[in-house]
Amino acid sequence: MSGYHTVEVDVRGIHATVRRKGKGEPLLYLHGAYGYEGWPEFLDLLSESFTVFSPIQPGFLDAEGIEKINDIYDLVLFHLDLIESLDLKTPAIVGHHFGAMVAAELAAVCSHNIGKLVLANPAGFWIDDDPGLDYFIVPSYEIRDYLLADPQDPSNSHILPSAGDEDEHAAQVINNVRALSTVAKFLWPVPDKGLSRRITRVRSETLVITGDKDPIVPITHGAKALCNIKNAEHLTLRDAGHLAMLEKPNEFVSSVKEFLSL
Amino acid sequence: MKVSWFHLMPYRYLPRDFQDEYRSVWVDVPSELYDPLLGHELYNEYLDELEHADSVGFDGICINEHHNNAYGIMPSPNIPAATLTRRTSDAAIIVLGNSLALYNPPIRVAEEFAMLDCISGGRLVAGFPVGTSMDTNFAYGQNPATLRDKYYEAHDLVIKAWTEPEPFAFNGNYTQSRYVNIWPRPIQKPHPPIWIPGGGSLETWDWTARMNYVYCYLSYSGYKRGIEVMNGFWKEMENLGVDDNPYRAGFLQLVCVSESDEKAEEEYGEHVDYFYKKCLHVFEGFAEAPGYRTIKTLKAGNVKQMGARANQERQALSWNDFKEQGYIIAGSPKTVVSELRKAAEGLRVGHLMVLLQIGSMPKDLTIKNTELFASQVMPHIQDMWSEYEDHWWPQPIPNRQVAGESISNGTLT
Repeated sequence: MSGYHTVEVDVRGIHATVRRKGKGEPLLYLHGAYGYEGWPEFLDLLSESFTVFSPIQPGFLDAEGIEKINDIYDLVLFHLDLIESLDLKTPAIVGHHFGAMVAAELAAVCSHNIGKLVLANPAGFWIDDDPGLDYFIVPSYEIRDYLLADPQDPSNSHILPSAGDEDEHAAQVINNVRALSTVAKFLWPVPDKGLSRRITRVRSETLVITGDKDPIVPITHGAKALCNIKNAEHLTLRDAGHLAMLEKPNEFVSSVKEFLSL
Repeated sequence: MKVSWFHLMPYRYLPRDFQDEYRSVWVDVPSELYDPLLGHELYNEYLDELEHADSVGFDGICINEHHNNAYGIMPSPNIPAATLTRRTSDAAIIVLGNSLALYNPPIRVAEEFAMLDCISGGRLVAGFPVGTSMDTNFAYGQNPATLRDKYYEAHDLVIKAWTEPEPFAFNGNYTQSRYVNIWPRPIQKPHPPIWIPGGGSLETWDWTARMNYVYCYLSYSGYKRGIEVMNGFWKEMENLGVDDNPYRAGFLQLVCVSESDEKAEEEYGEHVDYFYKKCLHVFEGFAEAPGYRTIKTLKAGNVKQMGARANQERQALSWNDFKEQGYIIAGSPKTVVSELRKAAEGLRVGHLMVLLQIGSMPKDLTIKNTELFASQVMPHIQDMWSEYEDHWWPQPIPNRQVAGESISNGTLT
């Protein structure tokens, strides 16, 4: 796996590092609050059919510039500029959680610049009776249990493994706080910032994917996204959690490929 | 040294097994545990205690702000402060304070503190805490990623509202107003002294020094650990080229005074236990929302007072542990004087705040603790730091009025 290249771009004064691999039509992958490190198998599988661009978004890991992005509008403009900087023509966008919210916001603003959309366990929705887990209050040493459908399954042991030593652990905690702080900036304390109003503008063909065992984004949230988009379908992956694309890379990718090549 | 009497106003009636049956004393503590009729008694009891502290000669009386919790039932400290301005005559009224980012617009704080300063005749100390994560992020829904930025902006607005004589427009990221022009204005000029309660973050130290404010280290881990933190504070002051006047600093210490060391344990033991094991029983997930502390502070290895590990450590502590580790200073007046002097010297604090009502402590015992402290401890520690001038203490007007004494003949104009 891996063998990706990194592309460094300047997005109106914000330096962005974008990982790139593959051949074919452009596909922009926008990561979520978790599972953004490295080059996981599902991206590798996607890169067999697409040129995958996977930026580290501002405020995650060492990516800078989050202090210049104050609200959803800034966030949308940053990503539109990023797409322009990378010279991507109507890329398909696959987003996970926070990244799926960004993708939906982008498509709501300018569907004509965006190809098809895949929203996996999308953030940005709220249902009073089914709010989903408040992951902001889960201690870092417990979060893995909530991110995977089967955290004990040995075949998942490579996903968010425990730190090797104290220094690695400290670095993990810092990265986790930085990532969640970035997500909180746009989604705290209730993740309803008006997307369900704006999403009615989305013209892109959209696939909503939810893991049936994701406590963070209940299936009902995916359904809410779906009912507000003109041209959308909903796929629920069985025995898949919040990090469905890491747990079930083959199922996830085959669904995405099938949808994108229609 | 200035000595002030600090009230947290804890809810005294949590069930015996509270820490085992409930996950947190803060944020989602069930309201079924709160009885408003007991609340009526508690507020009156606690206000009596604060007034009593004034009458027995404490330099100041302190109150503070917390939300969604049984640790301190004072969501609006300005309400008790208002009653205290009328019912006390000499003590500084130290509101520690108003969590600036929670007020929309924060102009409200400038107005209410100006009212309190006017009613009290210039006895107000204006405290501006950021507020705990439980209070600000979880109870009041403030964004942890922008909380501090909002706090600093609110601070700038309040100071300008107090000091700018003309109406002005304020164009902030969090507050905008075309016409800021508060009435009333504070008596103290340019404004009441400002104290900043903090938990040991480097940024706060630097900012406090730059603004020339008092830094108050509010720790419940006691003076022995406090000395380590305050050594860092004074070292930072030296690095910044700021003088070492002890009145730049404040510290809160739990104190229990009795006739003898043995009797102190007998009388106060259960209440200290209640405080450490129930009042500080905070669910780890609520202790620090992501972004509440800066990455710089996290990397510096800030020690948490709240959360699972701190809770576990405290659950195992006995009276002797609390004493030996300096969480509490307890015993006969002689013991307490000796330890408090040692603590104040080690910490180098000119503003000592003492917590004499602790946890479930009832009124009669609180009054006893307060009177013993006032008569047999305070006189033996107030001489400390007399060679320094306290530039951060209120400057009240000489002829002040309190409840029932109003004379309005314009002589003060």
